[in-house]
Amino acid sequence: MAVKIDTSLCDHCGTCIAVCPANALMLLPEDFIIDPALCTTCGSCVKICPFGALELSHE
Amino acid sequence: MIPSMTNETVDIAVIGAGPAGSMAALHAARLGRSVCLMDRNAKVGSPVRCGEGIGYKSFIRHVGSRTEWTLNKVEKTVMVSPSGIRVNIGNIDESFILDREKMDGDLAAEAAKAGAKLMLSSTVTAINRTADKKYECLTPGGTITSSCVIIADGVESRCARFLGWDTAVSLVDMETCAFCHVASPLIDRSTCVFYTGTTYAPGGYVWIFPRGKGVANVGLGINGSKSSAGRAKELLLAFIDKELPGSHMSCLHCGGVPVARAVRPLVRDGAMLVGDAARQVNCMSGAGIHYSLYAGKTAGTVAANAFKNGSIDYAALKDYEKAWRKTYGKQQERSFALKEFVLKTDDAFLDRIAASLSKEPPEKMNYLRVFTRAFAHNPLLLIKAVRLFG
Repeated sequence: MAVKIDTSLCDHCGTCIAVCPANALMLLPEDFIIDPALCTTCGSCVKICPFGALELSHE
Repeated sequence: MIPSMTNETVDIAVIGAGPAGSMAALHAARLGRSVCLMDRNAKVGSPVRCGEGIGYKSFIRHVGSRTEWTLNKVEKTVMVSPSGIRVNIGNIDESFILDREKMDGDLAAEAAKAGAKLMLSSTVTAINRTADKKYECLTPGGTITSSCVIIADGVESRCARFLGWDTAVSLVDMETCAFCHVASPLIDRSTCVFYTGTTYAPGGYVWIFPRGKGVANVGLGINGSKSSAGRAKELLLAFIDKELPGSHMSCLHCGGVPVARAVRPLVRDGAMLVGDAARQVNCMSGAGIHYSLYAGKTAGTVAANAFKNGSIDYAALKDYEKAWRKTYGKQQERSFALKEFVLKTDDAFLDRIAASLSKEPPEKMNYLRVFTRAFAHNPLLLIKAVRLFG
């Protein structure tokens, strides 16, 4: 399981980062970075995204 | 071609050029400190992630009479209950609807004019502490070394975590929001409207804040615990379809509003946390502009004075936290307690309040009456609530 982003839906608001308990997410102007080593796939970022840009998927 | 790196050493590094960061940089620069004001984006204040409403008195108190930042002055406020009961809250503070893009841009420019070095397109990717207790903020364009760092990086609050601050919030302590501009003849320029209820905005509310010229900021926030992927946007579109049919929508964006306890402590040796990054937001209304303006100004002033007195350790900087607690801190804590209470109530609760309030004449309405009704059965919360807007 891993968090995946649809960059066409992402508004760069950073709300996902605010709720990530593992500090696994980072937002750069041209990039959204998920650190798979830190991510616990808790799904908080997926639930909170106001535009639905994130999903948990099986790799 | 290797791009040139700018490595600088300043007294104070400010991370984030929103209202909190710009006010901190402005006031520290005015008091003679060397300041670097960094922002991730190429342009300050854009896109706007804010309802842009602020109490008239709060605005004047913190920035004075800056009418170039105000789009509209609103005298009336209406709350719509879940079952559609409209309550005219007549005498509560008038509001301004702000042009945040202009205000944020102007504030950063004023900080630059006062001597702060404004660095745009400068994401802080890490913060190190050196052996001689300086802070190093790493950006793609270079490293900023400073004795003091003021962290104002907004809702994400990622930079504080580099220093060991735990600023992540749980879902129930975050409102997830979608908002836009709506042009419609149905918009009443004189009135701010709040819609409540689980159908429109579970654990939050919908706002209609008129900007003038037939346009309003229309947005909603829902509580993170009631959210699923994309639900905020879905609910916003449904609301506009139902209540503002045939309107024209533009500038659709999203964002988060923390509804958490403000971070404690706000100060460490040489470091201060301000604004949304510090969770300095009223948990009932989502209002945070006035808190950020105040916290930024206070942090910048306290930091500059600490330099003058020769020490920027925790003891020298804690006056910022003391001032925050005295001015807004207790009110903010109460707003958190109220939010926790209201989250556990149902639509019937708000309908009951609205029904009894709608019998009051609007000119007699004030916050005291609103909360007396709301918490008649909860005397302890009433005592806290009565001072909420005092």
